[in-house]
Amino acid sequence: MTKHDVKNNDKTKPGLGRRAVLATGVTGALAIPFLARGAGNVLRIGVPTVLSGPIALLGTSSRNALLLEADRINAAGGLAGRKIELVFEDGKAQPQETARVARELVNTGGCELLIDATPSSGAFAVQEVVRDLGVLCIHTCSETSSLTADPKLRAPTAFRCARQGVHDSIAGGAYLAQFANAHKFNKWATCSPDYAYGRDTTAQFLDFFRHFKPDIELVTQAWPKLGQPDFTEVITKLIQARPQALFTLLYAGDLSAFINQGNVYALFKAMTVCTPNVDYPVLSAIKNIPDGIQSGTRYFEEFPPLPANKAWSEAYRKRFGQYPTNWAWQNAAAMMFLEAAAKKAGTSDGKTLVAVLSGLTIDCPFGTNGKITMREDHTIIDYAIGWGRTIAKPPYIADIKPADWGQIIELETAWKKQLGYI
Amino acid sequence: MNGFWRDSGVALAALVLLLGAPLAFSSPAFEDFIIRLSALALFATSLNLLVGGSGMISFGHGLFYGFGAYAFALLMQRTTLSLASAVLLTLFLAALVALLVGAVCIRLKTIYFAFVTLAIQMLFYSVIISWVSLTGGDQGLQGGIPRRVIAGIDINQQGHLYQFCAVLLVAGLFAMRHITASPFGMTLRMIRDNEARAAFLGIPLWRPKLAIFVLAGVFAALGGILASLFVSGAYPEFADWPFSGQAIFAVMLGGIDSFLGPLAGSAILLALNDIFTRLTEYHGLVQGVVILLFALGLRRGVLDFLRVLPGRGEVASR
Amino acid sequence: MDLGALVACFASPACVVTQASSGLIVGLLLFLVAAGLTLIFGVLKIVNFAHGTFYMLGAYIAYSVLQATNSYGLAVLAAAAAMAVFGVAFERFLIARVYGGNVLMQLLICYAVVLIFDDLVKLIWGADFHAMGMPEAFQRAPIFIAGGVVPPFYAGLIVLSLCLAALLGLGLGFTRMGKIITAAAQNPQMVAALGINTTALFALVFGLGGGLAGLAGALAAPVRSLSPGMGFSILIESFIITVIGGMGSIAGALLTAIGYGLLRGFGTIGFPLFTDELIYAAMILVLLLRPSGLFGREIV
Repeated sequence: MTKHDVKNNDKTKPGLGRRAVLATGVTGALAIPFLARGAGNVLRIGVPTVLSGPIALLGTSSRNALLLEADRINAAGGLAGRKIELVFEDGKAQPQETARVARELVNTGGCELLIDATPSSGAFAVQEVVRDLGVLCIHTCSETSSLTADPKLRAPTAFRCARQGVHDSIAGGAYLAQFANAHKFNKWATCSPDYAYGRDTTAQFLDFFRHFKPDIELVTQAWPKLGQPDFTEVITKLIQARPQALFTLLYAGDLSAFINQGNVYALFKAMTVCTPNVDYPVLSAIKNIPDGIQSGTRYFEEFPPLPANKAWSEAYRKRFGQYPTNWAWQNAAAMMFLEAAAKKAGTSDGKTLVAVLSGLTIDCPFGTNGKITMREDHTIIDYAIGWGRTIAKPPYIADIKPADWGQIIELETAWKKQLGYI
Repeated sequence: MNGFWRDSGVALAALVLLLGAPLAFSSPAFEDFIIRLSALALFATSLNLLVGGSGMISFGHGLFYGFGAYAFALLMQRTTLSLASAVLLTLFLAALVALLVGAVCIRLKTIYFAFVTLAIQMLFYSVIISWVSLTGGDQGLQGGIPRRVIAGIDINQQGHLYQFCAVLLVAGLFAMRHITASPFGMTLRMIRDNEARAAFLGIPLWRPKLAIFVLAGVFAALGGILASLFVSGAYPEFADWPFSGQAIFAVMLGGIDSFLGPLAGSAILLALNDIFTRLTEYHGLVQGVVILLFALGLRRGVLDFLRVLPGRGEVASR
Repeated sequence: MDLGALVACFASPACVVTQASSGLIVGLLLFLVAAGLTLIFGVLKIVNFAHGTFYMLGAYIAYSVLQATNSYGLAVLAAAAAMAVFGVAFERFLIARVYGGNVLMQLLICYAVVLIFDDLVKLIWGADFHAMGMPEAFQRAPIFIAGGVVPPFYAGLIVLSLCLAALLGLGLGFTRMGKIITAAAQNPQMVAALGINTTALFALVFGLGGGLAGLAGALAAPVRSLSPGMGFSILIESFIITVIGGMGSIAGALLTAIGYGLLRGFGTIGFPLFTDELIYAAMILVLLLRPSGLFGREIV
């Protein structure tokens, strides 16, 4: 380096001075409060979730349900005598952050179990962590079937306590085929978000729909972009295609915006809209829910029509001032599974619980017949799936027909064989 | 030459310290931290080759980070290449992409260079999202990176991955340090400070600019490889706009005029993030306030600030 | 690709009217956001990456004011006014402190503001999404033009936005302040040399930009979902529009925004899968061939 340069511009030297090295060392040292926290008679359960950004509701309602159940279980003596302490951490809906958080919860947070309340991209990242660490984990928000169906992706200590895309597609296909036959609706359109979930699940739904009703005609398919705030041009395109019915997989804020914008164009008078996704957050955000949307019940306090279900929803509403979400029941059910498994095993040890959970059937307010089973392939069945139509006043969804689980499992098995999963 | 030996000494000491640390105290969280730091620090330092070293402000550097992660993960999943060959091939491919992107971009000046790099990154991101059959779309590459043990290194073992990342971090930083301290680095700084003068001295401007753009792309891709190893997959977020922002933040936080600035910035950024995320769900609020305090208070990176503290004289000279 | 459908659409007046009007509504709302972005860049040479936050806050403020007063007009005015004040404060207290510094420092401040207000919105209005609902005055049957559907609310928005665009154009072209702003956008040193108070000028420009973005948020609120972070996608879209139109050019922003809206409107029929890629590619091409944008002047 020439002297000339040094004088001319004092910015020219990217110095590696002693002070710089020292400062880096100090900041490094500050960043190392990496001492593992102890456990004792408290059972820590780590919950990687999403608490910020557009889908923060997923995390907050999951957290509500988990707190509700943990308090109930603790009041009754805890899990095999150990008090539950829940540790929530925000993975920010980013897979790498979620993976980091999950590892940290186990490695330094002293968590012996994980409840993974993250959407699919996070769940797949957590799955790799779980495979690595061998810790018991229950996924409570990922509906992507392959998470447990694909043997390549499955992890031996991971379970899913959540509804599953393939189940919903079969149930929806069967219900809507009946509905279409009753109304002689043959011209259909679809409108789903343009990303892997939207495309895969729409294709899967159409497969099962055609299985039940081979003579449908697909007049148009619209694919609004991920996070698109405005669906106007999609709505006008749909109206001009003149289908008799529309199937859409938009959900949450997107579905709410779609309904509001559709109302502006009187879309709901032009065609019957069918979606699995009208739930309480959508209902409470929209002032005028149109009559006659055919919808699935993601969580609905009137379905299954069990006193326990209604009572649970009321307890939730009383404590948190809002209706439970689909994510809420899935997390509550996960805690109920842990509770039942610990009771049966007489311990809260993760390894033992893994063996007990597999194939376990529990009493649960969210089961079609008051029971839910954790099948041997580590995913739940017999949970409530129903379809009905919306009405403008409470309870907002009427004439709910429960899905036929025998049929679901039969077609699910065929689907798995077709993909080479079994 | 003096500087070279001193840098070598520092690098060697750092390496010994990092590799020895797990022997002294075993903490998986510390190892995780260093693994993540190695990815972000390589990414941020490579960005600073452009920003600080050459005055080329790129808003789209995440393209190469994301490319490195995807290319490497795909090579490991779809071919039977060994770990080392997959890494080398990924870096080579990243160099080609950077050459292509650089050839198109470098003739643009200042803010327009920033915009066009950002636009290309956005295009790349939307291709990742759309090309589901190859990339898995928005759900990312799933199924993990296959377990292949090569020469005793099993990257799926936490300890081995830690060592792997520590070595690559130190080696990568050392290489970049060597680049900035070389006559080539000085030429770039001269172009940065006064393009007209450099042109007058007969330095062809585009060649060194393109060269440093390609090098920066390669080191960013190396960071991406380490990131994909940590999460055992690749996700579109790696190639997204906010992630480029993270690196920019790390560079600014640590200091653009100090070689180790981006490393320090990355460490502080990760530590702040980890602590705030653990303490509160309103971590964005806290982090935003800290950034504001820092930006309005120090007005320069931490290391740059330390170097120009009043009363310390010409600390920067050596 | 479905070019047959596109040709069929162009052959039908109903389809042209419907898709064009839906494209216009998308484009014009974006113009309101982009106008501020482009003005701020033109005059201050700052890319205001916090501009989406103005839009978000405008929507939330309108939502709350409507709930409190039941007047949509008041809600829109309140949102625009509040964001104008916010814009001035943002410039005075934050951005003004790093003038002349590194571009990245400005970027950092914008980033911090985005983080802070996304969380504040969550703190005040909650993590769940909200919908304002259509104000009663606009709950009417759609208008039919040549067989095409145009909802009255959207017709109103289109007229209002075009009026604002005209007003902005006239204001910049024919008032003293407007001429100063235009001059400053083209040559800031010259304006300062003429002894004009640039401090007030800069604050004014940020106030104007903030007010327009807040207004856009309030106008979009009846039909879009409100959630923390909702400003991000708007920021990206309006950023693309400003770059293509030319940073600093209001006319460029208007024409590009309309073009973008129409591309979306007809793209969804003809080539729904490639609209995003097409727009990014257009942005890259424009930057390479004419870095200052289709209607902008190159800065030195």
